[in-house]
Formats: sequence, structure tokens, C-alpha cells
Amino acid sequence: MIQKKICMVGTFGVGKTSLVARFVRSIFSDKYHTTIGVKIDKKQLVVEGQEVTLMLWDLAGEDAVTQVRPAHLRGAAGYILVADGTRSATLDAAIDLRERVAAELGDVPFIFVINKADLREEWQVTDASLESLSQRDWSYLLASAKTGEKVEQLFLDLAGRILKPAHGGPASALDAANA
Amino acid sequence: MSSIPRQDELAPAPGANGDGDSAEVRYSQLRELIVGPELAKLDAIKLRLDDPQARAEDLSKSIAEAVGIRARQDRKLQVALQPLIEEALRISVARDPAMLATSLFPIIGEAVRKAVAKALRGSFDSLNQMLDRSVSFEAWRWRLEAWRSGKSFGEIALTRSVGYRVEQVFLIHRETGLLIQYAAASQGVVADTDLISGMLTAIQDFVRDSFGVKKSDELEVMEVGEFKLWLQHGPLVLLASVVSGLPPPELRQVFEREIEAIHARFGPQLQAFDGDPAPLAGVSANLQRCLLGRKEAKEAGKSHKFAYVLAALALLLMVLLGLRIRDNRRWTAYVQNLRSEPGIVVTDAQRRWTSYSVNGLRDPLAPDPKELLTAYSIPPEKVAAHWEPYLSLDPKFSATRKVELLRDSVNKQVLRFEVNSAQLRTDQFGMLDIIADQITQLQRAALADGQKAVIEVYGHADRTGQEDRNTMLSQGRAETVARMLHQRGIPSDLLAPAGRGTLDPEHESGDYPSELDRRVTFRVITSPAVAAQ
Repeated sequence: MIQKKICMVGTFGVGKTSLVARFVRSIFSDKYHTTIGVKIDKKQLVVEGQEVTLMLWDLAGEDAVTQVRPAHLRGAAGYILVADGTRSATLDAAIDLRERVAAELGDVPFIFVINKADLREEWQVTDASLESLSQRDWSYLLASAKTGEKVEQLFLDLAGRILKPAHGGPASALDAANA
Repeated sequence: MSSIPRQDELAPAPGANGDGDSAEVRYSQLRELIVGPELAKLDAIKLRLDDPQARAEDLSKSIAEAVGIRARQDRKLQVALQPLIEEALRISVARDPAMLATSLFPIIGEAVRKAVAKALRGSFDSLNQMLDRSVSFEAWRWRLEAWRSGKSFGEIALTRSVGYRVEQVFLIHRETGLLIQYAAASQGVVADTDLISGMLTAIQDFVRDSFGVKKSDELEVMEVGEFKLWLQHGPLVLLASVVSGLPPPELRQVFEREIEAIHARFGPQLQAFDGDPAPLAGVSANLQRCLLGRKEAKEAGKSHKFAYVLAALALLLMVLLGLRIRDNRRWTAYVQNLRSEPGIVVTDAQRRWTSYSVNGLRDPLAPDPKELLTAYSIPPEKVAAHWEPYLSLDPKFSATRKVELLRDSVNKQVLRFEVNSAQLRTDQFGMLDIIADQITQLQRAALADGQKAVIEVYGHADRTGQEDRNTMLSQGRAETVARMLHQRGIPSDLLAPAGRGTLDPEHESGDYPSELDRRVTFRVITSPAVAAQ
């Protein structure tokens, strides 16, 4: 069966682990983050009739002292940038992080996720900032690890784009979903 | 002349000799007007193509990119360049070895150090096993087998060694940490192979980061309980093996050999690996070859057996020690008892390895030391005893002795009778008085010694006359004496008269005066006075 490595990256506390936990049942404890800096889970999907195993590398969240280890990114077929809608700084951090990840991985598919869609009224991230993501031709999703909203779709979409080599440009399906 | 009018047609302008020329000039002018710039460009291109210098300059602008693009497409460029590079290196070394040496200098020390360290570690690892093997019978059998079959000792050791087993083998893509192939001899050591592959890769990074070691240093062994995780690092893949028991050092060489074989055979596929293991299905043969060993837990069993034997021995020793202590106590108590017994003097008592000996003096009236043994559970046959007889002055014995003395004298007394008469002869009256006196003393002494003495009075008759008459006569004689003794103060319940007829003649045979048989005799029966009390 085809396997693909996917990295979850983002600032500390944006909900990467919660998104993964929504998606799979973990066998490793969250302690792995603080000890070895990454926790790996796997999920088997069927994308357009093709079975694929996603190896989800949930990297420790970045903060003032912890930086994403390039070694952990190596070989990823795609990645998920996670930001927290209630903290606009996390969006900027994610955009900044994308630069570094892209430098390491090159042009591989990725999806921008703004988490905590269930707290929409507390959001700091404005529509204008979301618009700027669209202008960069980046596909993004508003998801909620708490309610599970769009979580499944997030991984399915990324898997779909990874399996289709000609992924260029924003995914129209995502735009439709966000509309 | 036909050509001239044609010329006229072509060059309509009449006039001078230069008519033809002018047409050509004009044609070239026209051409110049229409394709002039292109011609100039063509010339420039021609110049660039013809001039090697210019062409080289051109190529220099794109050659790096071209090489990069081609290298990504396939490996033909590398293959094509390989002889060149080799040749170039050879020339370089031939011309000036110092230059290459200088370039290699910073890394060569490191490389040598690493190689030496690895080799040393390998030999230390196997030191124990080497020692083991140099003395064990099994190893010598293997050596013999290796010599006979022409195989190396290592090969034989690998296949014959019990006590280890390669449980699982993972081939992991180094860059992505994805599991390429997996082979297992058993179930269940590592449950989720995909996840473990990923985590193994992550842990490598973690170890490298945490210990600040160089990128080239790798995690090679992990031990979890009875399992060892051996990691063999290739440039593209990682071979992780879960081994149980005590693997021989040769096993590592097997893994190294297989990972090299995998790289050699599947290099391009490994380079292009994108998560699809299908093109690499062939590696499973390599992995299967790694699943060596058959663990029958012999080593563990041996050590357990040894422990059991040891425990049993210890237990046995303790039991023996306990028994000996118990026997000692019994013996000491026995000897103690002997010493406190009146009429026994212990002069020497010894406990030997398996037997006992005791020496001393013993009054014949004292209890038999042999009989006392049973009270202490000491087997009499193990005791060598020597008792010198002596007379104790203990008061206990004086009473007993007196009873015995009196008993013996009473037993010897005889009273005589006339023929056919139950009347005691008058000359026997004095003797009767003496006997009565002795019996009285005997009774008294017996009482003092806690005994009761019953005197059986036997009447006898001579062998003349009828049997019935004799019996009656003897009975009469016994009763006469009993009555007379009673008259002299002996309680009648202590006197038991009995007629013996002619059963007990004075002498068994021969001629003797028959008057000797006409008599009364006594037998004293003593018994402990318990019943009387």
C-alpha cells in the first residue's frame, strides 16, 4: 500500500495534536512532543479508489525556544500549516513558518488550516487576512478540532492532492467548501 | 542570340554595358532590404557556431542547469561521468598525491577513527562469546563441522546457535521514515510496524540532537527487556532488526551484507521511493534471509537449571545441617540423662561422623542405657557402649539390693516332711521360723523399695504312691506351711500355696533318697507395687 508522510506544523497551542486526535486514535502519548519533539500517527484512507496510508508527523509546536527540526520535515509528501483563529499572531507565524518548510521540502502540496472555527465570534483573524491567503493562491480551510468540522476533509483533500502529481494552483474544491 | 532578348526582358532598362550588373545590384539591394537584418543575425549565429570559443562561452551559461536537469531525469549522466571522474582522480593522484591528501586530510582521520572504533567495539562485543566458544564442547563440534564442510566457522555458528532469534526485520526509508518492507518470524513483538518505523527515524534525530553528535554517528543498538533492536544504516535505507536472546556477533555482518545488497540492487528504486513499496517488493527476499536463529531458550534454560541445582544443593545442605544439629541435641540430652541416672557414671561420651560412643561404669541395678536410647530416637546399632560393672552406694539401690538378697535366700529355703504326711516335721520348725523372719524382712524391704513380694509356696511329693494321692499330699504340705507362716505374721494374701505333686523332683534323675522330694519350696515373685496402691 502506498504510504505518504505528512507533517503538521504550526505555533505552540494552535491545535495540531487535537486535529490529529480528531482524525485518528493515537497509540503514543502527547509526552512524545516534549521528549523527542514529534509524535507519529497513521491513518488509512481511500482516495478516489486508491488506498493510502498517511503517516502523520505531528511536530512539536514552535515557540520562542523550540524550532521545527528540519530533520523531521525531511521526505514529507505534504504538510498542514495550522493556525489558531482566535490568535492572529499564529497566522503570521504560520506564514513565516511556511517559508522555512518550503525551503526544506520544495514545492509540495500543503493546506492552511485555521483551527477553532467553533469560536468564530472570538476570532482575531479577519476576513481580510483570509483574503490575503487566497491572493497567494494558497488553499485554506476553517476547521474545528473540537467539533470535528472539516477535519476529515482536510486530510482527504491533502491526500488527494498528493496523489495527483499535477496539483498546481489552489484547489477549487476547497474554495467551494469555504464559500 | 536567343539569350540577348531574354536579358532585355529581365532588365527592361535600356542603355549601357553595365545593364546586367545593375540588375544584379538591384536584386541584392532588394534582398538586403527584405532579409538584411535576418542575414546579419544568421551571420552572427554562424560565427557563434563556428567559433569554438564563443560556443564554449554559450555552453558555460547553461551547463550547470543542464547537468542538474539531466541528473534528476535518470542516472545516465552519472554513469557516463564515472569513468571520467575516476580517470581524473587517477591523473590527479599520479601528478600530485599531496594535493588529494591535503584535501582528504580533514576527513581521513575521522574515517579511520570511526572504522577502528567500530571494529574494536565489534571485537569487545564478541569477546565473551569468543571465550565461551574457546572452551565449550559445542563450539568445538562446530569447528569440526566447519572444517568438514569447508564453510566458515561464523556460518556454522550462525545456523547452529540457539538462544537467539531474529524476530522482525524492518526496511525503513531513511528520508521519510516510511516502512518499505517488513518480515517477521513471529507475531507480536512490535505491533504497529508503520508507526514504529516512523518513530525510529524520529528517535534517531532526537538522539543525534540530544547528544550533539555528528551527523554521521548513528544510533545502532537499543535494548528493551529481552529484545535487542539492531540498526544498520545505509545511505538510503535503515535495516532495523528485533532480536531476542543472545545473538552471535556474526549476525551483524549478515545484516550489513544484506543492506549492501539491497542498495546495490535497488538503488534507483530507493532513490525514487515516493511511498509506494510496489517497485521494491523484491527486497523481501533479502529480509527473509535476515530472519535467522531458532530460539529454544537453551541458554536461559541452562542457567535456570543451574540455579535449580544450586537451590536444591543448598536445601539439601540445610536439611543435612538441620539433621545433624537435631542429632547432636538428642545425643547431648541422652548423655545428660545417663549422667543424672543413679548407678550410671559416664566417663566419656563422643559423637563421631555417623556413630556415637559412650563409656563408663554401671551398677547392674541401674536401667539399661540401651533401652534409654529409644526415648531419644537414637538407633542403638549406632552406639558403641562399654559399661564397667560397679556397685553404687545410692540409697535407691541398697533397698533393691536388700530385696534381691532376701529373695534369693527365701528361694533357697526347703522344709522337709515325713512319708505320706502333710505335717511339718518338728525338726523343721526352727527353719520355718527363720523363713518366716526372712519373708517378713523381705516384705518390709520390698515395701520400702516400692515393690510387692508374693511368695509362692510349692508343695512336693516323692514319686512313690498314686498320682492323685501325691497331688493332694503336696497341696496339703503347701497349705500347711502357708498356714503356719500366716500364724507367724505373714499376711495370707501374700502367700500362694500350690501342690506340685511330683512335677518338680529334687533331681531330674538318678538315685537319691526319696525323702528329698518330700518338701516345700518357695519362689518369691516381686512386682512394682503400683497395683497394690
